[in-house]
Amino acid sequence: MTDLAAALGRLVGDEHVRPVPGQPAWLVTPASPAEVADVIRSSADAGAAIVPVGAGYRAARVRGLGERPRIHLSTERLDQVVQLDETSLLCQVQAGLTGLALEKILAPRGLSLGDYPPGILGSSIGGLIGVRTPGKSSARHGFFEEAVAGVSAVLADGRTVHTRVAPRRSTGPDLARALCGSEGTLGIITAATLRLHRRPEARLVAAFLVPSVAAAIDAAFLALREECAPAGLRIIDAAEVRAQFPGVALGDSEALLVAATAGPTDLAACDRDLIASAVDAEGGRAADVGLAELWWRRRFGLEATPEPGPMFQASAGPGELTAAYHAVRAAVPGARLHVSRFDLDGAVVFATFVDGSGAALTGDALAAALTSAEAAATRAGAWLLGARPTALDPYLAALRAELDPRGVMNPGALQ
Amino acid sequence: MVVDADRVRRELEAIVGPRRVSLRAGDLDTYARDMWPRLLLARRDGAPPASLPTAVVWPETAREVAAIVKTARRLGVPIIPYGGGSGVCGGVVPVFGGITVDTKRMAALRGVRSRDQVVDVEAGLSGERFERELARRGYTFGNFPSSIYCSTVGGWLATRAAGQLSTKYGKVEDRVAGLTLVTGTGDIVDTDGPRRALGGPDWTQLILGSEGTLGIITSARLRLSPAPQLTVFRGFEVDNVAAGIEALRRVMQTGLRPAVVRLYDELDTFVNSFGHHEHDPERAHFQHTHAPAPLPGEGALPPLPPPPRPAESRGPLERLLGLARRKKDGLRGDAFTALLDRPRFINTVVGAVAEKIARKGCKLIIGLEGARLRTEVEAALTFAELERAGARDLGEEPGRAWHARRYAVSYKMSGVFRDGAFVDTMEVATRWSNLADLYYSVREAIGRHAVVMAHFSHAYPEGCSIYFTFAAHADDRAASERRYDAIWKDGLEAATRVGGTISHHHGVGLLRGPFMAGEHREAMAILGALKKSFDPDDVMNPGKLGLPSARWGSV
Repeated sequence: MTDLAAALGRLVGDEHVRPVPGQPAWLVTPASPAEVADVIRSSADAGAAIVPVGAGYRAARVRGLGERPRIHLSTERLDQVVQLDETSLLCQVQAGLTGLALEKILAPRGLSLGDYPPGILGSSIGGLIGVRTPGKSSARHGFFEEAVAGVSAVLADGRTVHTRVAPRRSTGPDLARALCGSEGTLGIITAATLRLHRRPEARLVAAFLVPSVAAAIDAAFLALREECAPAGLRIIDAAEVRAQFPGVALGDSEALLVAATAGPTDLAACDRDLIASAVDAEGGRAADVGLAELWWRRRFGLEATPEPGPMFQASAGPGELTAAYHAVRAAVPGARLHVSRFDLDGAVVFATFVDGSGAALTGDALAAALTSAEAAATRAGAWLLGARPTALDPYLAALRAELDPRGVMNPGALQ
Repeated sequence: MVVDADRVRRELEAIVGPRRVSLRAGDLDTYARDMWPRLLLARRDGAPPASLPTAVVWPETAREVAAIVKTARRLGVPIIPYGGGSGVCGGVVPVFGGITVDTKRMAALRGVRSRDQVVDVEAGLSGERFERELARRGYTFGNFPSSIYCSTVGGWLATRAAGQLSTKYGKVEDRVAGLTLVTGTGDIVDTDGPRRALGGPDWTQLILGSEGTLGIITSARLRLSPAPQLTVFRGFEVDNVAAGIEALRRVMQTGLRPAVVRLYDELDTFVNSFGHHEHDPERAHFQHTHAPAPLPGEGALPPLPPPPRPAESRGPLERLLGLARRKKDGLRGDAFTALLDRPRFINTVVGAVAEKIARKGCKLIIGLEGARLRTEVEAALTFAELERAGARDLGEEPGRAWHARRYAVSYKMSGVFRDGAFVDTMEVATRWSNLADLYYSVREAIGRHAVVMAHFSHAYPEGCSIYFTFAAHADDRAASERRYDAIWKDGLEAATRVGGTISHHHGVGLLRGPFMAGEHREAMAILGALKKSFDPDDVMNPGKLGLPSARWGSV
């Protein structure tokens, strides 16, 4: 095994091959896609497994590998912007650059990855794509994988593939999508071409008090069906409002709806008005706009968000969302909830579990709360974070066997 | 390969009964082809199809489809899925024989989940009936290809189709919540699930566009939009193609989503003769509902006016062909096309025709539709952005004239194939920074062999597609086919060379198979692996998508 480490050291430099304490594993940080291919080839030949790791690496223990040697492959040195096409709003970046670092490069040019709260962009681009983590940015900008116009990846046999970039194509399945969400099991992503957005001309925020969470959810979908495309929309229940926005007077069943709209000024105003009239139709009223401004500043980390933050999330379609909210609410007494990331496909219910004094639940109490919340949300038709349909698992297994017959690529994942 | 046709018949009849299996010569002949113009060249010459299916079968359920696929696997014969037969790339040609599975008896609109704005629909439903049923319920799927009267929902999904309003509603692959697929192993799988699902690839996106090579799509859950409350059309004029491209780019990157954007190059502008068509406002009123008109004698649904026809007999294709024939009388096609690049010479050489071209600039049609308030705001912003980019407002009429004739072009095709001439279309796409390169390169490549015109439609924030229409003429069938193949080879290789995709929405079929390796390069390995995992015995539509086949040999 040390032979492999020595061989990898010759490929990428000894200082970029480090043993992982307590595991038959090495952390390897190649500097180029060609080195990634070399590392994969050598490791596969030596019978080792490749485990991709992104930013914020914590030497995660991979299950089910026994004593099989493993190479923790980090792309952190692949951190270059390869091409920035400001005419087409496309950017080719290497996989190890973090979303945040990319945003810092884009911001002075008036560009951005989209309406993402910075909190979820701390991972490497390769990681964000490989696990589809950030999900949806907003009704305006869609899902992260939809921003992926093309990827470059190294397959198990060391071949490098570059999917071609086109706005859309009709030349068979979207092959880049095989690598999005595949957690490194089909290939290690070394670069991606991402769709960018121009910084909007205007951004407006608004806050409303609505008689109930159910009415607020109805108002949100009413506005979305009128083609309103907010940059952010959140419905916060009374328990959460009291913790996050002390001083707001609202009844136990009432909810706070905050929204941000963006785009050309007239369009941002139009979207804000659509939300206002939908809220009005549901019996709500305008609230202090300062609440929405505070929410937006916290979202961008310009102001601290009161602790504790959410410990649970579940997504649900428009038909199940209200039921999912009430189910989680009823399952865990004292829970603080908000519903966010709206689009016409649904939204996500977030919950914070606290004791009587407002301190976060921990240990067994937290585990019990999570168990009952998960059961309740599932019963109500919601999907838990990390859930995935398993109907096509046999095809994934066959695809993996075809592309990676030796089982080199992240063998513990997606099982 | 010798296939026991009688055994195939018996096995299929055991699944669907005797009335939904056919081995009749007329049926086999009909199902041997689609609307690929190269096949029409042979047809015009009276030649029989190069290959026939062994049998045609009309299943009514996914379960029957699964049983048919399992039978084909056992017997070792190919399966060729068949929808409306409107494809233009030969995707349904039974190259190696086999069982053609017509999906048109799986045509139920099972229901609309109004809260989710999702429709559950079977694959064999015709596009026009689909939209008509949705319009009755107050929705639209938003896919309006010019083939809408003769294509099916399943065909759209299998090829990643696009309609005339795709700039707002997206291509079909942008609108799918879930698919039901009978795979090449004969299993029935659903890809539905939350879009936020973590772990594993997005199977829906790996099946869309597979053109029957991975399995047969039997039903789908598709996203709907409310039927539009307001529709706005406007025509603009720009100095040249480059100015038009820049204007469109600005609109798309401002975050505006017009439903229709069509920028015509100089020749297309001339050939389409905007504003010269009679326009009947009363009929236009009907056509502003989203429901396309039914074919004569059809319809459980209330009758609507008949399909739109061009008001004058010389439609755009005839005009283009007129140019193609004109060149036969003296001026060669490449010379003519090359001259379009040099307006100084046009007057003296081509005379009045080209003079008109040079003077007119390029037409740009913009249409917006949707919810009332947002459409009004977006329309005002869009028109303002276009004027800032130097486009001149021509009022509503050009847009309305286009809208009234928007499905007419497909029905003019067959008449055009008289007299040794042929026409076809080639749709390619790329990012904005590359679009002019793609336009000039492909136009030059096609222009070596044919008269070519183009319009830019289907725009995105990062790029746009180009739709080339070309017409050519040759003295006999062999010469026509040689010229036809040369046009496609030169055109698609030019597209690949400058970094464009070889198809925006017509698909691959047989036509583009040889160019798939250039399109995807090493990534073909992923497509090949997908094929092996969904269809280990290689029975699903072999010979298509440029997939190599050890079992059946090369096309």
